[in-house]
Amino acid sequence: MAAAAQPFKGNIKKALAGLRRINLEGLRWRVFDAKGQILGRLASQIATVVQGKDKPTYAPHQEDGDMCIVLNAKDVCVTGRKMTHKFYRWHTGYVGNLKERSLKDQLAKDPTEVIRKAVLRMLPRNRLRDDRDRKLRIFAGNEHPFGDRPLEPYMMPPRNVREIRPRARRALIRAQKKAEQGPSTPTKKDKAAEATA
Amino acid sequence: MNKDKIFKLAKGFRGRAKNCIRIARERVEKALQYSYRDRRNKKRDMRSLWIERINAGTRLHGVNYGNFMHGLMKENIQLNRKVLSELSMHEPYSFKALVDISRNAFPGNKIPKKDGSSIVA
Repeated sequence: MAAAAQPFKGNIKKALAGLRRINLEGLRWRVFDAKGQILGRLASQIATVVQGKDKPTYAPHQEDGDMCIVLNAKDVCVTGRKMTHKFYRWHTGYVGNLKERSLKDQLAKDPTEVIRKAVLRMLPRNRLRDDRDRKLRIFAGNEHPFGDRPLEPYMMPPRNVREIRPRARRALIRAQKKAEQGPSTPTKKDKAAEATA
Repeated sequence: MNKDKIFKLAKGFRGRAKNCIRIARERVEKALQYSYRDRRNKKRDMRSLWIERINAGTRLHGVNYGNFMHGLMKENIQLNRKVLSELSMHEPYSFKALVDISRNAFPGNKIPKKDGSSIVA
């Protein structure tokens, strides 16, 4: 997963920002691949790792979580209609200015913010939250400038997917049938001619 | 007489609470109430911290806290959570032996397979 440093000349400063503030000795560098992962489930795993709750030496007053690198942030998935219906809302402070932006637009604008918000909102709101935020490095693509560190990929725990509901299954079957017959009958007039014939 | 005792207890307080008797008296009363309450809370907090540590330690070996304790109860191992958390921090091999004992007694966990298939026993 080590990549050339050339694509990173733009935001290599942002990627390495604040590294000096973290005491890096003894911490592992865990790499999460967000491609095809569900947003919330991935974020909760990242939150446990960043807090250090997977180590038996956890202490709530000191910050000992591992550095987390998240790759392929733009390929993160959500179920249901959240892509168009999930809104990020914020109020600017002026009367009547409640702004909102949908997941789709946010992914187009800045895909790292989606995962960063998800993880930050899962961390406890205390004084260690900012330090934990500094340990999270999220990248939209597959490359990162940390190739020379000892990296460890993180295996996500296996997921039980519930079986598909009847209505969704019927829609899936219809879509599959349409995909099979699609290239052969493109126009409506031909279908009408077939139906009458 | 009483004032000296109050000021002695008010060492380290913020602002006028360490110097002026009226404020110091209130703050010291509150501090003594908090310390009464927290002597009882400390026992709860320490136990939950031990449980968190044991949970982290057993999950490294693929067993979660509930199944681990159930297995230990079945084997009648009466180590308390304090000792178990110390073992999980400082004696990893002994702790792994305990996790194996518990897993033999109560195999209630799915084995985490790397290829993604999960079977809940």
